[in-house]
Amino acid sequence: MPKRRRAPDESRRNFLKGAGLVGAAGAAAAVTPPVTANAFPAAPQQKLKAAVPGPRQVAAETLAPAADPVNQKTSGGDFMTDVLNSLGIEYMAINCASSYRGLHESIVNHGNNKPEIITCVHEDIAVHMAQGYAKIEGKPMAMACHGVVGLQHATMAMYNAWCDRVPVLVIGGNIMEADKRAPGAEWVHAGVDIGQIVREFTKWDDQPASLQHFAESAARAYKVATTPPMGPVFLALDAELQENPIPDPESLRIPKFSPVVPPQADSGAIASAAKMLVEAQNPVIVCDRLARTPAGMANLVALAETLQCAIIDNAGRMNFPSRHPLNQSFRRGIIAQADVILAIEMNDLWGTLTHFSDRIVRRSRPSTKPGAKIVTLGVRDLYLKGNYQDFGRWQDVDLAIAGDGEASLPALTEAAKRLIDDGRKSAFADRGARLAKAHLAMVEQSKTDATIGWDSSPITTARMCAEVYNQIKDENWSVVGTAIRLSWMHRLWDFKKPYQWNGVSGGAGVGYNLPASIGAALANKKHGRFTLAFGGDGDFMFNPGAVWTAAHHQIPILYIVHNNRAYHQEYMYLTAMAARLGRGVDKMDIGTTIKDPNIDYATVARGLGAHGEGPITDPKDLAPALKRAIAAVKAGGPAVVDVVTDPR
Amino acid sequence: MTKFKRMAVTALAVAALGVGVAAAQDAPQGNATNGKRIYLADGCFTCHGRSGQGGAYNGPAPILAHTALPFDAFKNQLRNPSDDMPAYSGTVLSDQDIADIFAFVTALPGQGSAKDVAILNN
Repeated sequence: MPKRRRAPDESRRNFLKGAGLVGAAGAAAAVTPPVTANAFPAAPQQKLKAAVPGPRQVAAETLAPAADPVNQKTSGGDFMTDVLNSLGIEYMAINCASSYRGLHESIVNHGNNKPEIITCVHEDIAVHMAQGYAKIEGKPMAMACHGVVGLQHATMAMYNAWCDRVPVLVIGGNIMEADKRAPGAEWVHAGVDIGQIVREFTKWDDQPASLQHFAESAARAYKVATTPPMGPVFLALDAELQENPIPDPESLRIPKFSPVVPPQADSGAIASAAKMLVEAQNPVIVCDRLARTPAGMANLVALAETLQCAIIDNAGRMNFPSRHPLNQSFRRGIIAQADVILAIEMNDLWGTLTHFSDRIVRRSRPSTKPGAKIVTLGVRDLYLKGNYQDFGRWQDVDLAIAGDGEASLPALTEAAKRLIDDGRKSAFADRGARLAKAHLAMVEQSKTDATIGWDSSPITTARMCAEVYNQIKDENWSVVGTAIRLSWMHRLWDFKKPYQWNGVSGGAGVGYNLPASIGAALANKKHGRFTLAFGGDGDFMFNPGAVWTAAHHQIPILYIVHNNRAYHQEYMYLTAMAARLGRGVDKMDIGTTIKDPNIDYATVARGLGAHGEGPITDPKDLAPALKRAIAAVKAGGPAVVDVVTDPR
Repeated sequence: MTKFKRMAVTALAVAALGVGVAAAQDAPQGNATNGKRIYLADGCFTCHGRSGQGGAYNGPAPILAHTALPFDAFKNQLRNPSDDMPAYSGTVLSDQDIADIFAFVTALPGQGSAKDVAILNN
């Protein structure tokens, strides 16, 4: 990234000096005739109306100007650092850039590296780290970049965070005043409204014009970002504001920040929903980004057990224990039997309740039975924008309740309990027993299915996941990433703690998984948890530099590369296109595969300072490699295990 | 999240296959070795796995290893598939190719006993 270069005469402090030089030059021109033939002619002496300056005036105007100050004792960045620390921001992931050098220096020296700087080799990595961190820690961290070119790099990751409804505080440096910009890079790295390129996928943005303005906007940004529905926010920081001395420190005030209590649903609507659920024969709860805090899962378990009803978890967060008998996430056919469906904090409700065919003629039909009542609870629709279509297709519902899902669940559970008489308790217990039996059968079927191709090479994804679980099951584990459509963990593993899962990218923008997993690992580190993640090879190559950040900051994580040597989803799509046209189905590896040469991810990882294992092609080699990698993680750093796998 | 969606599709797809089957007929003679070659070259493995273990496309892709489907049902699914599977016409897969693929997948070992695999019982 080009860095800001100091121009010879650019600062506010040079204003008077510049004026003096102009005066001196003018006086000199008045007394000195032109010396070159093509110079502009001097005005004829005889037409001068002002008197020629006397010797004292000439002497005064030609004295050398006072020297620039070479030191200062404060900077606006110091105050900004204090504000960021007042908000409890632990980390700021950055790719260093001159447009925020004032803040950077202040954090390092005035703040004694608080918030702690996390060095990233790409802005996309920095934002994704913040996304992964927030979903584990439950609060945002900051990210800083050049306001123009750096922000352009950051945009896709910000879009993922937006779609995933995750708070991230993004800061971009800018030089607002045109006369303060040095020639060259400072002009191409400045903008009138640098936030405009991210405004469609941020909740709020601002470009503060004073330090007090910054303080209040930083507090507002934090508040807006962390109020459900959450999302990324952006602040453009003027370089002069960061770098110059604080003109009047006594006038500055750090705002008092109070988090917003998430909105609970209307009590009347909750009562109606409870009545529908209690009177239903086959109620089903579907959820996606429900759990915001550790309370979220407990609240959903309480409601499910009260109703003894099925839960279908789209796993946008750690919403429900995988081995809970009411977890029916891999028995989605039961949606067709539901007479009441409660959808909580859903991302794509229509997609969940619809059977859609990706055929030559695209058709869809409801997965629900006629007459099924649909109730929604959540804040998803309370903040939408128009351009990007992440809101999904319209779904008809019978009762739409605005309210934070996690915060509203206890009231719903209590309302349901009040309506359950002894007769219903017995019926509910029978229903629960049936669901538990079906759940157990599903788990056993998954285990049986996992045996197919057990000793094959490339290694099946089921074998990979089983081998990994066997090595980490006794750790205080947290799995924070997966590859596209890799669901064996949720089919086979015992997820039961709130931090054992944190969802996926949100915007399905490739390049999320590796850096976001490392960000989640950063959050897990201080809690002493063992972080691991799976990720595709295609995703890995978007941001391999994230491994260096993990090594540099000693962020422990076991990262398993699900290496199918392809952008495999696209491989399948392309094959479908060729089959549709009746031609060339045997050539669809062109442009979709990552081979010839094969990438050696373990070597890449070692080159970036991490422990590397693989490529592993024989399933018998997995366990020993995992043991070595886990030892490296326990020693405090990242380890990458390259597993050559079957596609899905 | 789509990766967990439409688990019902598997059941529906398999059911549709069963319903669409006419009276079982003897499968034509197939060459499993050539079937494996076609299975890998023409992209069958991309959704159903090299071991026929199943996988996922837009939704789950059924297990083919040691399939119990009659040949006609298998062929029908290739020519007139249910759900999102693309149709493979005669221009890209001949009837003999299908017979060869069928020979290959029916010869693949199917599910084993999970109880015999210690690490599946954690």
